[in-house]
Amino acid sequence: MLTLYMRLVGARIRAQMQYRASFIFELFGFALVTGVEFGVLLILFNRFDAVGGWSLYEVAILYGLSSISLSLVEMIGRGFDAPFERMMQQGAFDGILLRPWGTFFQILASEFQVRRLGRTIQGFGALMFGIAGLTISWTSAKIVLLVLAALSGSLIYLGLFVIGATICFWTIKTPEVLNAFIFGGQQLTSYPLSIYSEAIRVIFLSIVPLGMAIYPATLYLLDRSDPHGLPVGLAWAAFPAALLFLALSLAFWRYGVSKYQSVGS
Amino acid sequence: MRLYWEIARRSFQRATTYRTAYIAGLLTNAFFGALISFVYIAVYQGRGEVAGFSVRDAVSYVWMTQALISIGAAWIAPDLERTIRSGDVVTDLSRPWSFYGYWVSQALGERLFNLLIRGSLTYLIGVLYFRAFVPDVATLVAALPALLLATLLAFAYGFLINLAAFWMFDTTGLMLLANFMMSFFSGFLLPLAFFPEPLATIANYLPFRAITSVAAQAFLGQLSGGALIEAYLLQIFWAIVLIGAGQLLLRAAMRRVVIQGG
Repeated sequence: MLTLYMRLVGARIRAQMQYRASFIFELFGFALVTGVEFGVLLILFNRFDAVGGWSLYEVAILYGLSSISLSLVEMIGRGFDAPFERMMQQGAFDGILLRPWGTFFQILASEFQVRRLGRTIQGFGALMFGIAGLTISWTSAKIVLLVLAALSGSLIYLGLFVIGATICFWTIKTPEVLNAFIFGGQQLTSYPLSIYSEAIRVIFLSIVPLGMAIYPATLYLLDRSDPHGLPVGLAWAAFPAALLFLALSLAFWRYGVSKYQSVGS
Repeated sequence: MRLYWEIARRSFQRATTYRTAYIAGLLTNAFFGALISFVYIAVYQGRGEVAGFSVRDAVSYVWMTQALISIGAAWIAPDLERTIRSGDVVTDLSRPWSFYGYWVSQALGERLFNLLIRGSLTYLIGVLYFRAFVPDVATLVAALPALLLATLLAFAYGFLINLAAFWMFDTTGLMLLANFMMSFFSGFLLPLAFFPEPLATIANYLPFRAITSVAAQAFLGQLSGGALIEAYLLQIFWAIVLIGAGQLLLRAAMRRVVIQGG
């Protein structure tokens, strides 16, 4: 399955490299456009000293992790986004059902956007900027948590894309509310969770556990504590929570596929 | 004139038909408004004015930017590009009316409707939950021309960029850059008053501040007397430039239009 995935995705990548100039333009464009969020952060810190008690370097770590985790899913998971919507509208999903492979696998392999690396690169830059500006007493646990934080974020974003695609089975359109969770989630996790209202914190710690993915791990990394008493140990629960979230969205996907009715064209 | 009024009215009516998408969009704008407001509340933490903005000004500004998404102040709609790509543009070009006039009336009808409903409701949420500034009647009246001109400017800029599809096969990268220029230098992402040098000077010479920044500041009562007149003139100046450039580029495009498909 992995070799097949590699082969399918390899073809996608080669296809995208055909228009070399356009590709470089897009890669640069994505780095710039997503990097501007970090620019906003820098400008804000030019005028203010801290966000809810967090320094620029500390926020840069949150921002970097948040950006990296979203970018990875934008790269591998966009098949569940607009292309899937188009597939539904054109009735092309019937073809997917006829092939001897799982539907999830096929949609995942249907799209791979290398240009999204633009966001990964700038997110990584922000993360390095934050780490370089602080004196962190590194332990192996901290390194593991840092990687898990980005991964957990990615799994939850992927789950959100899958949920959006599944809703398409009934509505033929991905609801815009999902964008609020995906891109709103990225905005939200770029800053310390403690600055938001209780309602927002509760939603993003339970229903869509994005708040659990990055914030507690960063607290642990920086030896900080949460002003609302959120236990730092929650950082270890992030990865299992993310896996559970993805598993639930996959179950929803499977249910959606079983209820699928072709548009008949 | 009557004709363009009718096009605008139809487009206004069409915008009323997608109610659920509408509410979802509104909630998304409000959610972002809330998230960014919390960031400003967290950076101010009891500080007074920063670059002429109190925390309440900053939060009100945030809600205004979210409301202005409805007039296309945040990113460019690739609507014209889509018709160029599909070839439908040929039908629009062969209609017995001005092509530019057709697009401008359609855009104004739709966007002003959006501002009236989606924009004002978004802002209302900001007023209710974040005590965003409520302008008095005089300020509101003074802000109306600025809002109208901002809508026209956002359209004129988008039209210009959309036209690139006549020359380029893939405009994704160009669109990204064009959107970046608009959202950053218009003060959509954060007030231009916060910009350090030389970014502030650069923003000053670009047309984008005449969109979000001027409209939001007029609405928030930050411009009055001479400054307000100056702001209108700035908007009119850039409207003439952008519309003029759009017309010229359109004429150039007409000379090389290639009809795909058929």
